[in-house]
Amino acid sequence: MPKNRLFNRIFACVLTGALVIGALSGCGSKASSGASSGSGSGGGKILFIMTDVEDTFRKTLSDAVVSAGKSKGVTLDMVETGSDIQQQVDLVASAKSKGYTAIILRAADASTAPQMNVSAGDLPIIYVNSEPSIDHLTQDKYIYVGSDEYEPGKYQAEFVLKKLGNPKSLNVIIFGGEKGHPATVLRTKSVKDTLKKNGCKANYVFLDTANWSDTEALEKFRIFMKTGQSVDVIFCNNDTMALGTIEGLKEYGLDYTKILVCGVDATADACASIAAGEMAFTAFQNAKGQAEAAVEAAMVLGNGGSISTVEGSTSDGKYVYVPFEAVDASNVSKYR
Amino acid sequence: MSEKTEKKRKVRSISSKLLLLIVPLVVATVLILVTVASSLSKSRMSAMAQETLESSISNQADNIEAWMNQNLTFFGTVKHFIETQEVTYSKLRIILDSYYGYNSSSPDGIYIGTNEGKLYTASESSFYEPDVQGSTWYKQGITRVDLAFGTAYTNNKGEMVVSATGIINDGQDDLKVMGADLPLDEITTIVNSGVKMQDAHAFLVDTNDYTILAHPDAALISTNLSESSADPLLAGVARAINSGNSKTQTIADNMVAFADISGTDWVLVSYIPDSVILADIQQMGNLLFVIGVVAVIITVIGILTVVRRVVAPLAHITENITAMSEGDFTISVDSSSNDEIGLMGSKVTEFVASMRNMISSISQESEKLKEESDNSDMVSKSMFEASQSQAEAMKQLNETVDQLATAVNDIAQNATTLATVVADTRENSDKAYDSMKETVEISQKGRDDMEKLSFAMSGIENANNELVESINKVGAASEEITNIVGMIGEIAEETNLLSLNASIEAARAGEAGKGFAVVATQIGKLAQTSAESAQNISNLIDEVHKLIGNAVGQANASAESIRENSELIGVAVDTFDKIYTNIQASNELIEAMIEDVQKVDDVATNVAAISEEQAASADEILATSENMVEMANDITSHSQNVADNSLELAGTSQTLTSYVQKFKI
Repeated sequence: MPKNRLFNRIFACVLTGALVIGALSGCGSKASSGASSGSGSGGGKILFIMTDVEDTFRKTLSDAVVSAGKSKGVTLDMVETGSDIQQQVDLVASAKSKGYTAIILRAADASTAPQMNVSAGDLPIIYVNSEPSIDHLTQDKYIYVGSDEYEPGKYQAEFVLKKLGNPKSLNVIIFGGEKGHPATVLRTKSVKDTLKKNGCKANYVFLDTANWSDTEALEKFRIFMKTGQSVDVIFCNNDTMALGTIEGLKEYGLDYTKILVCGVDATADACASIAAGEMAFTAFQNAKGQAEAAVEAAMVLGNGGSISTVEGSTSDGKYVYVPFEAVDASNVSKYR
Repeated sequence: MSEKTEKKRKVRSISSKLLLLIVPLVVATVLILVTVASSLSKSRMSAMAQETLESSISNQADNIEAWMNQNLTFFGTVKHFIETQEVTYSKLRIILDSYYGYNSSSPDGIYIGTNEGKLYTASESSFYEPDVQGSTWYKQGITRVDLAFGTAYTNNKGEMVVSATGIINDGQDDLKVMGADLPLDEITTIVNSGVKMQDAHAFLVDTNDYTILAHPDAALISTNLSESSADPLLAGVARAINSGNSKTQTIADNMVAFADISGTDWVLVSYIPDSVILADIQQMGNLLFVIGVVAVIITVIGILTVVRRVVAPLAHITENITAMSEGDFTISVDSSSNDEIGLMGSKVTEFVASMRNMISSISQESEKLKEESDNSDMVSKSMFEASQSQAEAMKQLNETVDQLATAVNDIAQNATTLATVVADTRENSDKAYDSMKETVEISQKGRDDMEKLSFAMSGIENANNELVESINKVGAASEEITNIVGMIGEIAEETNLLSLNASIEAARAGEAGKGFAVVATQIGKLAQTSAESAQNISNLIDEVHKLIGNAVGQANASAESIRENSELIGVAVDTFDKIYTNIQASNELIEAMIEDVQKVDDVATNVAAISEEQAASADEILATSENMVEMANDITSHSQNVADNSLELAGTSQTLTSYVQKFKI
């Protein structure tokens, strides 16, 4: 009986506590939503910091972010900073006082993420396009919206293996992007891993970075040609380099229908090239999907929610992944 | 004696009880603390060990990367210089010479091989390569422009090296590959000495061909890491790397961490035996246990000290209370300490003072009580005696009442008999009354008849008298008539004279009086006739007179005889009246007698009823007096009890007094 009473008391206390907390948090959330509606929109106010839109993908991404903001009825201000890290820091630091509830940031340098997180105060940051280290991401606070950079290399290798009937060995060229860039590392690693896993002994006749550039890719292809080695397949970390490589193949009169050239991004030029029967494959990075996911995550986190409600979020609450899609001659029309 | 030992045992048990209560609690608490702390610290230390291992391996990986990048940067700078200077072959050697020995990590310096099979080295370098195009470093070098490390291989001198190689992109037609060798010994040194964790070890694996590049066991260097290795640790690591699982994990009783060396396909593996970590945890547990035991001992000592200090004043108070329980209230209690015991002492002092007052007043009161109970004993004794005599008196009364009841009953019977007799008498007198009534009626009838006769006689007399009167009236009337007739005769004479005068006058009047003379003559004639008739009437009346005189005489004679008769009848009536009156009187006497008899009857009846009631009352009185006797008996026994009780009370108050006198106040 006294035990029961004690239990009842504890139960009552817990209940009361829960009610109080519920009431308080209820009020809290109401207050914050009231404040954001006061600032002019239901989903908060988002600051979108972009380095530049010179790259095709970044242009597509930034346009999609702006239009996603419009279509979701949220106030979204975009600022271009170039590679000026200090300007990015200043923008992030003043965002709170300007009434922003969340920041979508394409960091000029992903390694500056800790500085950005500190500057943001308690505003959530949604990193896009340039992925910070996992150590610098925090669940439902500082997150990365993008695509799993391991996927495109895997899709490339799988496509090639399927296309060539699971060969036992291959002479392989890989043109990487910027040296040390996470996408470069992962896209390259996934190609190697996938080939190895499928029992294909890859002979890397040329494995170098070409800084996402078609001219550099072409230049390095020419140097490769000097080495007098033969090649069966060329994996490029992006479409631009792949198109440069196609130029190289044409230059040397090599048969690009036999030597498979794979890119990533499914840019318009790459799709045209695939449609024309030049490039063999590209992995579509869904810029629009990423933009929409980034805006949705910004709205959710700006309201104090959790990205677990956003499609493609990982269980650790640090990532929202928008899947790559494999594009070849059979389905390229969809992406043009 | 037994009480004393019990008391002592109780005193001892306070501290032991406290110890018995608190020590298990403390031990349990300490045990829980030690268990929780050791389990927490175990997981924390495991985590810490993992963190340390990961930090160590990450540090090592950074060191290796830094070392390699440093070398790469150095070589890259030279390469960039060569690429931008459009150097001739003769100049090339000068450049290589100038950088030779600058980087101690690469004892052979930088070398360049061409697609024509030429090899350029620093002049002091011991590097040689007879077959440039067939060499490993050349084959590696032609796959890239950016300098990078290839897989490890054994060079001409039999050393394990890795070469940083790349194509010199100087825009010229021939193909030049630049290379620089790093002996693995140095990497092995870095790997082996870079471990930042006690008892942890590390080794480096090239994932391209699973060659072990560095290992604390020199014999394993340049061997292949295989899943079928005899060493379960190596086999496990091979399996983990193959499956791409680079999380820190336990393999063959070792905690194993992995780190990719960026810019290469190398994986650094660091491991520490679980036993080392567990030893730390065990040590921690032992330490905690020792601390726990010490804590228990300190607590016990603390409790003992505190109990001694706390119980010391208690002992004094206990002595005082013991004295108090033996009736000594002359004690004084120490209440100097400022804690609850001090408060207790002061309260006991207050208690003793109030007890002292109370006992002295109880003592006084018990004295009074004793006196009063003695008094009440006496009173109850006398009451008992009184009640006894009352009971006896009541018994006598009862007997008297009994006799009275008997007497009353007799009276009631007699009264009833009397009433019966009276009732008979009343019946007889009623009969007498009836016969008397008949007699009265008969005599009344006789008297009535006599009265009727008398009445008739007086009627006759009256009629006779009326007759006389009437006759007298006739006499009077006839005399008047005589008078009248005389007057008429006189009138007739005058009338006749008048008529002669009238006829003389009429004859003097001549003719006119002729008629009147005739009337006067006539009147004269009538007056003469009237005078004659009046004379006749007067004669007749005289005769009537004579007759009336005779009638009156006769009537008077009959009136006389009637009067005599009436007188006789009157005497008879009077006689009858007297008889009636006498009978009436005797009748009234009889009625009075009957009324008296009635009264007697009523009285007798009442007497009978009353005496019956009296008899019943007497019975009731008897019953009541019997009750009273019983009650008196009860009172006697009760007063006996009262007497007994007051005796007891007297005894009790005696005892009380003796007890109270035991207290020292």
